[in-house]
Amino acid sequence: MKAMIFNIQRYSLHDGEGIRTVIFFKGCPLTCPWCSNPESQKLEKEIMRRQSLCIGCSSTNCYKCNKDPKDCPTGALERIGKEMTLREVLDEVNKDAVFFDSTGGGVTLSGGEPLLQGEFIVELLKELKKIGIHTAIETTGMGRQDIIIEMSKHIDTVLWDFKIMDKRLAKEVVNQDIDVMKNNFETLIKNSNKVEVIPRIPLIPHYTANIENIQKILDYISKFDLKLVHILPFHQYGSSKYKALGEEYKLKDVKTLDKNEIEEINKFIECKGFKVIIGG
Amino acid sequence: MLSRRIETLKNELFKEKRQISLERARLYTESYKNTEGEPSVIRRAKALSNILSKVEIEIKDGELIVGDRTVQPRSGVASPEMSPYWILEELDEFSTRPQDRFEISQEDKEYFKNELYPYWSGKSLKDYCNEHIPQNIKDTVKAKIIALNQTDKGQGHIIPDYSKLLKKGLKAMINEVKEKINENEDNYFYRASLITLEAARDYILRYAKLSEEMAEKERNLDRKKELEEISRISYKISEDKPDTFYEALQLFWYISVIFQHESNASSISIGRFDKYMYPYYKKSLEEGIDIEFIKELLRCLYIKFNTIVALRSTESAKYFAGFPTGYTIVLGGVDENGRASVNELSYIMLEILGDIRLPQPNLSIRVNENTPMDFLIKASEIIRLGTGMPQVFNDEVNIPSFLNRGVSLYDSRDYAVVGCVELSIPKKTYGLHDIALFNLLKVFEITLREKKSEIGSFEELLEKLKENISKYVKDMIEGSNIVDMAHRQCAPTPFLSNFINGCIEKGMDVTEGGAIYNFSGVQGIGAPNLSDSLYVIKKAVFEEKLITLKELVDILESNYEGREDLRQRFINKYPKYGNDIDEVDYLGSEVLSHYCREVEKYKNIRGGIFQPGSYTVSAHIPLGAAVGATPDGRMKGEQLSDGGLSPMVGRDKNGPTAVLKSVSKLDNYLTSNGSLLNVKFSPQALEGVEGIKKLAGFIRAFSRLKIQHVQFNVISADTLREAQKHPEKYQNLVVRVAGYSAIFVELDEAIQNDIIRRTEHSF
Repeated sequence: MKAMIFNIQRYSLHDGEGIRTVIFFKGCPLTCPWCSNPESQKLEKEIMRRQSLCIGCSSTNCYKCNKDPKDCPTGALERIGKEMTLREVLDEVNKDAVFFDSTGGGVTLSGGEPLLQGEFIVELLKELKKIGIHTAIETTGMGRQDIIIEMSKHIDTVLWDFKIMDKRLAKEVVNQDIDVMKNNFETLIKNSNKVEVIPRIPLIPHYTANIENIQKILDYISKFDLKLVHILPFHQYGSSKYKALGEEYKLKDVKTLDKNEIEEINKFIECKGFKVIIGG
Repeated sequence: MLSRRIETLKNELFKEKRQISLERARLYTESYKNTEGEPSVIRRAKALSNILSKVEIEIKDGELIVGDRTVQPRSGVASPEMSPYWILEELDEFSTRPQDRFEISQEDKEYFKNELYPYWSGKSLKDYCNEHIPQNIKDTVKAKIIALNQTDKGQGHIIPDYSKLLKKGLKAMINEVKEKINENEDNYFYRASLITLEAARDYILRYAKLSEEMAEKERNLDRKKELEEISRISYKISEDKPDTFYEALQLFWYISVIFQHESNASSISIGRFDKYMYPYYKKSLEEGIDIEFIKELLRCLYIKFNTIVALRSTESAKYFAGFPTGYTIVLGGVDENGRASVNELSYIMLEILGDIRLPQPNLSIRVNENTPMDFLIKASEIIRLGTGMPQVFNDEVNIPSFLNRGVSLYDSRDYAVVGCVELSIPKKTYGLHDIALFNLLKVFEITLREKKSEIGSFEELLEKLKENISKYVKDMIEGSNIVDMAHRQCAPTPFLSNFINGCIEKGMDVTEGGAIYNFSGVQGIGAPNLSDSLYVIKKAVFEEKLITLKELVDILESNYEGREDLRQRFINKYPKYGNDIDEVDYLGSEVLSHYCREVEKYKNIRGGIFQPGSYTVSAHIPLGAAVGATPDGRMKGEQLSDGGLSPMVGRDKNGPTAVLKSVSKLDNYLTSNGSLLNVKFSPQALEGVEGIKKLAGFIRAFSRLKIQHVQFNVISADTLREAQKHPEKYQNLVVRVAGYSAIFVELDEAIQNDIIRRTEHSF
């Protein structure tokens, strides 16, 4: 069994408790225009091109270079996506086990959408559980029911994204069927007696960061016994990656939220009885 | 908030420009002129006695702890008896040289040229070294394959037995030596020892009298009382053992200053201060002394540590930039039974560093599996402040590494730190911990150039490299032993020897082998660059056959001229040490282990053994300057990896956990003289309670990974760049250099840039 992975990042401090290793799975059913990992969207391998690293050894224009990425001396051309076996992933993850243990950290599955490679992640989670490593997943919730049920038996924390709650807009903007997502969420909650479930709201100007949308999210999650919400303010860190992929970034001119705007939303959610962590 | 007293005393440190002081040199020389023909150990004792009786003393307003080496703080004390040559050459450059500048008056320049230089020319320690070191070893030094240290300055690098001092007091120590003299009339060491102890007593009495006189004249009643107390204490401890914390602290400091008057050497270190001072701390608290007063005394002491800086030659200052004096203190660790040893004073010492933020004392902690989490958290909070302190040492590997050198279990558990990161058994060791450096990467370069046409396999290359390492190690050993002998002949330290166990028993100075443990420590440098370079050769030359060895060496000799593509490929397409990749990490490990096993074969002239270490201080810059381009993509003259065990700058891409894992694959039990690892965090990575917990957990993992040492720079690169641009605004910014901290704006630009470049881990 192999998975398509585009990065395994060690020493990650902001994706759950302690020092963590984040496994980024490639491929996502959604099309969020603000996606900060655009290289995660397609399931297939692709090439990123970074002109700033190019030394012009065969073409001075990185975007037109015919070299195989493996022959590019500076790594300006980089092949994104690597098929990895379960053993390979476990070996990589185990390298930081001593830090997971000493800081209460662990492994976070991210993407893309890890649930797309559901069989693999269930096997991975089973193995990690066996050796006592804490696990978390960052998910859009778009996966098969049986995978969600199986996953919930072996995972410690689920960070579940709530983006756009309006059914029509969700379909239009991010290609998400809200009913499927809600149904999946309820399945998770039903099977989650040992799982910590944390709703996460990306705060994207013009898309999600309006009180009406947030109100809808809170109305929905209030039905369940949940205490904590993460909010993830919009940032521009992903913009150079669009360029490297030769894609257009629709949000390149969108400003990040200022402190007051974030604080306002934070207060709004707290007033509804949730504890809020900014940035997760 | 610091009290006004401390604020004022702290500002006094930096108020005046640093001056060269020839006072000690004058008094030392005056005495030497009167003792021609007497044994060296006696001459040295009399010289110290002359200094202590005549050196100018004062008590500054507000001081609670008194005693100075020079009245003007941070003066550079010249030692022409060690080498008059570099001083003469640099007389006109002290105030303009790139690193460690000092002012010197015209009058002093003339005095040096006309009086001191002519006397010492031909008679100094340096002359002994020059006469005795054979030409082939001089060539090895000149080629920067090895560096021999302490050829023109005092030896230092030792931790005296302060607990003996405090428990006995000077009178008892004097009586002990007098008895020895009665039994051994013709032993010069005992006679010298007595001269120095009596001189120490009289020196303290000078302060007792001065404070008494000052108290009489003082109008301010509060200050009058303080001066009376200083006087009372000084009279008492000039003979008797101290009883209170204040008395113990004052005696400790007087004796520390006297060590400097005698040796004028860096790294006469402090050892396990929280252990031997704790009984006095506890007693004083029980007697109702206010804890705030105790802290104020300690702050006064911290300031005192910073009044003494080391004057080095321009060349030496490249290796040890920023005047480190090596007042290294170790907190925590285990007790003689192996149980975790942390007390209230350990916490207070950390807290005071947080208040006062000065580069000395070089505060360190020892950690192990049983170190309380509280203590790790407290240390992490102080580390986050960004002074680079405390640095962290690991009992889990350091204790076994001493056992492997034949040190008893009891003594191994008592280890402490000398200078920067050198491990030493306090009270019992004369360890020459910093006697030489060995440039592994230079030997690699020489091997490639010599053998580029003959070598047919990677194994053969390793074999030839190891042969050359063995060959040059021999030169280094021979050179070190000559320097060792030079100190015995020219610079015995009878006063210091009173405080090293074994000397009084045997009637021998430390330089003669009086100590119980007699090591010589020599550092192997460049293993990280070597890992990376060997891996590139293994893959590109012998496996992929991308290029022949000869072609590669020619390209390296041309400094990658016209082959930037190849250089980039070497940098980017082959994994590097520091990223937790076994195949690479094991290569450097194999070579460093070979170096260690070669070194440990040899004996020194005091009946002890050589032991390897791996730290650079700031030597990775000058030693790198001597090495041509290397297959890891390093350009000609570029620095070596910093610290000793740190990955090459910019090559660690997987974060600090991967760095620790790579370092853990070296055989860290072998480098028993000490090794050094720099890790830099961005301040954001350590924000909040969570950030502190992660750092404490990181240190716990470091301990489990059996790495000897780690230190942290937690200042953003932006702040440092800002300080480079506007030094005037950052006069007090303390940063980690290498096993010691220094004031950033007092460092040479090359070293500043190096500190900025060391990878900053944030994510």
